[in-house]
Amino acid sequence: MDANTFSNRVSSLTNDSCQFLKDIGAWNYVEQRRTCPIEEMQVWDGISGARINFSAADLPLQTTEMSRMTENLNLQRGLLKHLSRIPEVQLLDNVRVTAIEKEGEANGWPLVRLSNGQTFRTRLLVGADGPNSPVRTFAGITTHGWAYDTHAVVATLSHAPRTPFQPPNTTAYQRFLPTGPIAFLPLSPTESSMVWSTKTALVAALKSVDPSMLVTFINAVFRLPEVSIRYLHDLLLSSVASRKALTVDEVREEILWRERSHNISATSAYSSALSAGEVGIPPEDSEFLPPLITSIQPGTVASFPLRYSHADAYIGDGGRIVLVGDAAHTVHPLAGQGLNAGLADVQVLARTIETALLQGGDIGSRTALLPYTRARWFENHKILSAVDKLHKLYSTTFPPVVWARSVGLEVINELDTIKVALMITAGGGGGGPRADGSGWRWDVAAKGLENFNSTADTAKVVGSGLVNVVGIGLQRLGNALSQVGRR
Amino acid sequence: MALREVIVSNAAAVRKRPMFPLCGRGIANNVNTVDASEIELFSRLSSQWWDEHGEFAMLHKMNPVRMEFIKQKLQEVQWEEGTCSASSSATPLEGLDILDVGCGGGLLSESLARLGARTTGIDASEANIGIASTHAVRDPQFARSAKSLKYLHTTAEALLAEGKQYDVVCSMEVIEHVNTPSEFLHICAQLVKPGGHLFLSTISRTPVAYALTILAVENVLGIVTPGTHTYSKYIKPSELLSFFQEYPTRFASKTGEHGRPWITRLYNGLPSRKEADVRGLIYVPWDGRWTLTGRSSTSIDFDLSTLCNYIFWVRKPNGSV
Repeated sequence: MDANTFSNRVSSLTNDSCQFLKDIGAWNYVEQRRTCPIEEMQVWDGISGARINFSAADLPLQTTEMSRMTENLNLQRGLLKHLSRIPEVQLLDNVRVTAIEKEGEANGWPLVRLSNGQTFRTRLLVGADGPNSPVRTFAGITTHGWAYDTHAVVATLSHAPRTPFQPPNTTAYQRFLPTGPIAFLPLSPTESSMVWSTKTALVAALKSVDPSMLVTFINAVFRLPEVSIRYLHDLLLSSVASRKALTVDEVREEILWRERSHNISATSAYSSALSAGEVGIPPEDSEFLPPLITSIQPGTVASFPLRYSHADAYIGDGGRIVLVGDAAHTVHPLAGQGLNAGLADVQVLARTIETALLQGGDIGSRTALLPYTRARWFENHKILSAVDKLHKLYSTTFPPVVWARSVGLEVINELDTIKVALMITAGGGGGGPRADGSGWRWDVAAKGLENFNSTADTAKVVGSGLVNVVGIGLQRLGNALSQVGRR
Repeated sequence: MALREVIVSNAAAVRKRPMFPLCGRGIANNVNTVDASEIELFSRLSSQWWDEHGEFAMLHKMNPVRMEFIKQKLQEVQWEEGTCSASSSATPLEGLDILDVGCGGGLLSESLARLGARTTGIDASEANIGIASTHAVRDPQFARSAKSLKYLHTTAEALLAEGKQYDVVCSMEVIEHVNTPSEFLHICAQLVKPGGHLFLSTISRTPVAYALTILAVENVLGIVTPGTHTYSKYIKPSELLSFFQEYPTRFASKTGEHGRPWITRLYNGLPSRKEADVRGLIYVPWDGRWTLTGRSSTSIDFDLSTLCNYIFWVRKPNGSV
């Protein structure tokens, strides 16, 4: 593939996931030039502008990155190459599964029939076959969940490189709008990926317009106040409904007018109507925003529906079947946790199988697989519901909620070490599920609370008397936990 | 919980079951141990052996822990004697002849065979042997090399009469179901090659064990068929230890064997690490699995970890017959 063309389906690999891929030797086969480190993240509230920034530099680790972006294709190619070099692994391509049947009586093994006439009798059938998993259906495992009223629009964006006065293009941006978050994910100095989740009706309209119009919209959506974005959405929808084509110039004019009425200076980074990509001293606030998009790579605009779903069990009733990844759970992409949760599933499953083998167990038996479910189901449930709640929290425009979430975000932003704990929980730490040093994580939390007194002022939410009591109490708790963790 | 070694039914022995199983010294000339009723019970339950949700769910979960202990002990001895074989870590039991007495549905036998041991599972219940064989045949791992795993509907006595001996003899959850445990141990002991190993797992005779294995599991929760366990047949670890302190001398009149006792002496109530070991098996409900407790540092009489289920290992001295 051309070095400057990028596929539209990308993933963010946390440090934990990268370490896992390195441990199994697959990372060597992933083309490094087509991966991009994320060293910082800027996340802000679309209504209040409350902002939190995460930086890998805050992590008490050697690594300078929080995660690594790569195209799914690049990762898949690397994994396939790695597999093809393992003699025990037999890869079958250009073959479909035509049927999965149960052999004979109650506890029969699954029979997997292929389009090339082969049939496999499987001691253990791993369902890694995506959200509509046929393996899951065969096993009769039910799922719970719901479809969101949103789709995600993806595209590969081109933009000018960051200037020497700015940090490199290794910052991910995400703005939470009531219609859904829009994310900017760097892939190279001049290419980045976009994931824009928004209302279903709007998605169809966005996909139908001219690419230059879409560019204008994307730039505005990262910058304009929410009220104006809502207006632009309505403008687009009504033009589609009335079949009266909107021209790019009309939209630019509209945006320019709105910027003026919002008092956005033409030299500010928040101004998007001016020609993009000028080289020179960048505006002061440029680090808060992604670079201005100049074009969209042809053929990369696509969309997919978003669903929350979680399988009620990961193991088939009589054993022999186990689910991992999207077959077991799907999640809103706003936190970039879907693939990482899947990789963690695989890591734990591999370890579970290894343990069973060392003890002479039957790796397809329910008993052998139970530790996998125990380690992963609740863990995934936590991630899934946290992401789901986050999505719902930011879908509202109800002022008290907006105020509360904004204060919360700003408070967390001031508590550096709490942020670190958040990043580690999100998998940025690099310790992996094997990490034994949970003690230092609590150290981090305790240290963060030492700053509680000084930083709580910024939030202006807690009375000063209470601050002392709560702060000291929490700090003691944190210290106690770190003691326990060290043992 | 599991099987039942039968050896010629002896009605008198059933009736006069000693209150403390291993204290009875007198052993009738015609060997015996069993309980026909026990065999009948387990034959009735045999179809459930491989149902991981059913009656034997707890046993399925216990299996990995028992395997872990067996592997550990065998490796420990190998390291100590510098006979660490070059066998791969996938099949650490390669080259060993192992007998599983009272194999039931074959839970332990299959695992032993997977780790490379030439395994023989025997059971007094024909139904159990039928279930175990059928289950193994469906697994291609065993179908390919029939040598690695075979099941026989026979008794330990019969094998002994044939003059068979094994590197390792295991009898898991069996001794609490036999009529004359001392005789049963004597038979198992003779089936072990000199320098070989005997593994037993069973339940201690304590109020805790009664509350958990009979009151809770059978009567209240109904997980296991009532009547599976008989409290008076439970054996304390200390009774096993003292049995092997006197073994084989106590049987000298019968066998003419005056060899070194299997356990020479106890140190603060515990055997030497090279001669025998007792470890508790504890079910952790919130974890859904069994754990193997560490080596006790106090006298076995005061060891809380072996109050209920425990696993026992003893080694036959090299000079024995």
